[in-house]
Amino acid sequence: MTYWAINAVFLGLVAVTAGAALLLRWARTRSTRASSTHGSLAAVVRAAGLSTAVLLVMTAVFDNVMIGVGLVGYDESRISGAFVGIAPLEDFAYAVAALVLLPSVWTLLGSRSETEAAKAAGESRRAGSGSVSGPDASTADAEEAR
Amino acid sequence: MGFAYLVALLISIFGMAMLDRRFGLFFWRDGWRAFVTLLVGVVFFLIWDIVGIDAGVFFRGETSFMTGVQLAPELPLEEVFFLVLLCWLTMNLLAGSRLVLDAVERRRAASTALSTGGDRA
Repeated sequence: MTYWAINAVFLGLVAVTAGAALLLRWARTRSTRASSTHGSLAAVVRAAGLSTAVLLVMTAVFDNVMIGVGLVGYDESRISGAFVGIAPLEDFAYAVAALVLLPSVWTLLGSRSETEAAKAAGESRRAGSGSVSGPDASTADAEEAR
Repeated sequence: MGFAYLVALLISIFGMAMLDRRFGLFFWRDGWRAFVTLLVGVVFFLIWDIVGIDAGVFFRGETSFMTGVQLAPELPLEEVFFLVLLCWLTMNLLAGSRLVLDAVERRRAASTALSTGGDRA
């Protein structure tokens, strides 16, 4: 098995986690109708872009140092031969995975305050829309739970 | 047997904790959520490491910078601390970038307001 083949498997798992997190975020935003509480999508994307640039540069620097001083070695027959300095390109998959996996897990875990905020927003929406009967309210609750 | 790498990692992790504490980025934003996120990340990357070691892709270098303590064949103790650092750095970066970009935007908005105010005066 080559380094890229292994990376493909783990990056696939990361992608699935990210998909689940995006789905949850979308559902949460829809149920609260308050995307502004999470900031605009553009702001999130810009912050992610800046983080990615910084982490990739740091990976390039420190991975080269770590390999240079001999902390880790690679079987040359199992790596692609694409390098950034003396660091195999494959190593950057760890940084990319961290940038996608960790915020996804963070989102999936949710926070009590966010759930409460969502609930409060839902309640104020219901209160604002006037006479909402019991069954309607419980339907809305079920929607939020989903 | 050396402690240079482990000490360097611990100092870096301490730096992450200080930045986190100062700006409320990760653990100081939601401790329990951060703990679980970090744990999931470290375990995930350790499995990735073990699969890579098992396939013979990479191996521990023979160096005097490491303690020589191995958690599994070719998996040095230091790797766990490296992964903690990677995960904490990533989450600090994501939250920190957001703070920096927001601050830049606020400052730009404030200076624009100030300059238009100055024009009128």
